[in-house]
Amino acid sequence: MRAIWTFALMTMRSLLRRRTIWGIVLVIILALLGIGQVPSFDVSGQSRFIIEFGLFGLEMGALLLAIGLASNIYPRDRENRTIQPLLAVPLSRIRYLLGRFLGAAIVSGAAMLVGCLGLMLVLTLNGFAVPAALLPATLLLLVEGWFLLSVVFFFSFWTSPPLNAPLTVMIFILSQMSVREFVGLVPGASWLMRTLRLLLPHMDVFHIKDPIAHGVDVPPVYFLLAALYGIAYSVFMLSVALAVFRERDLR
Amino acid sequence: MESMPLEVLDLVKNYPRRLGLSSFTAVSELSLSMEEGQILGFLGPNGAGKTTTIKCILGLLKPSAGSIRLYGSPPAAPRTRRRLGFVPENPDYEDSFTPLEFLTMFARMRGLEDSRPDMVSLLERVGLSGWESTRIKSFSKGMRQRLSLALALQSVPDLIVMDEPTGGLDPLARKEFRDIILEENQRGASIFLSSHLLSEVEAVCHRAVILSRGRVVREGRMEDLLRTESTYSVTWTPAGGGEKVTETVPAAELQERLDDIRDRDGLIREVGPRSLTLEEVFLSATNSGGGGA
Repeated sequence: MRAIWTFALMTMRSLLRRRTIWGIVLVIILALLGIGQVPSFDVSGQSRFIIEFGLFGLEMGALLLAIGLASNIYPRDRENRTIQPLLAVPLSRIRYLLGRFLGAAIVSGAAMLVGCLGLMLVLTLNGFAVPAALLPATLLLLVEGWFLLSVVFFFSFWTSPPLNAPLTVMIFILSQMSVREFVGLVPGASWLMRTLRLLLPHMDVFHIKDPIAHGVDVPPVYFLLAALYGIAYSVFMLSVALAVFRERDLR
Repeated sequence: MESMPLEVLDLVKNYPRRLGLSSFTAVSELSLSMEEGQILGFLGPNGAGKTTTIKCILGLLKPSAGSIRLYGSPPAAPRTRRRLGFVPENPDYEDSFTPLEFLTMFARMRGLEDSRPDMVSLLERVGLSGWESTRIKSFSKGMRQRLSLALALQSVPDLIVMDEPTGGLDPLARKEFRDIILEENQRGASIFLSSHLLSEVEAVCHRAVILSRGRVVREGRMEDLLRTESTYSVTWTPAGGGEKVTETVPAAELQERLDDIRDRDGLIREVGPRSLTLEEVFLSATNSGGGGA
């Protein structure tokens, strides 16, 4: 565990020293500030607008963070051959994957929390109360981001970074679809499509912006179950990624 | 009895080509072993399969066939890894870190003490004194090589695998590397040294394995490789004095030549197997592509 944690810290430092993360955080903050400036017809409408678009912005931020942070990690390690001494001596492949994932997940989490604080600030500066469920709602988006991060790692073991981004976006879009919409993509193979749909989570589980914006209470157990659901899918995707990575020759 | 540091048996590595429809054999039925405390030179022209073999030994590549044992265990076994140090070819580490940060993190990942004074003295030993806290971004190729040597030595390994460790280094740095290799060997470490620098291998290795087109074409103890009984050196002085003559005579013609010198009243001063240079052995082995493996 110490090796994984040390490698995760190394990954965090490395990511924080790159410009990508700061660029994404800047985009998230600018988007939130922009949302706060959009006028609305009435006071309650503007509050809903800020919360809905703010959480939507954070969801997009989670997608951007996953792609921006992780798509280049493994290809870069291979290109500059850092991976050779790492895997030859101190780390097994599972530790490498978990360390890299954990490091990227922590950086992504920190960026999402900064985004959440920014959203709270925008609400406060506009004279609106901050809903109590805003932080848990952001945490659910973070869990969604971790799943996307695991998808990016999975693709990074067998595709190039330019291909990784569209494939991850495709998974992101497919995961938003209901079973009916998904089966509708290939109606002739409904059994196969239903089975395939099971491999992807239902992302709408993580989106509770509407209830929050309309002041509907969300029970705490919902947050817990949704988080567990997302973490289970992340673990599944990381296991598939590890299976691919274990078979890779590091030429 | 302790197992040998390295045993490779009938190693084959094929790389798929054309979407897996055909394959290229990089290493073919390669067998070798090294004894405890030995420095083994691993030689071969470009494309001979040296780096492929090393990557299989380190578990970075999956062998297509054959087996590899490090101290009797598979390369991936954690207890094997703890005894291993690796100096890669042309390492290019994460630019934004300093050598001290790298050593600290590698020490923690290996479960070692991350004592700063030890790491500073290790960096001093490999010639990076004063550069401990400088980002690797500004390091030359030679300095990166020195850092990789420090990372390999950090755990006081029993077996050090080196893939072209002195490639691109200046003569002074090469000498320092060579001295460290000898020091580590005197400490008891076994060293697997892949190198293009034949003089370096000749100077430090106890044994050498020469590879060509993925196969071992010659191997043996260094003195056996360099001494060949196929040619002899004959030194003699012509009748009535004169300058000493030294000539190389093929073994099959030796008796005839000695008789000829005696018939002319020449004085035979010395006859013995001719000692070759490693370069001659290497060229002969790799040009013929086979021979006394």
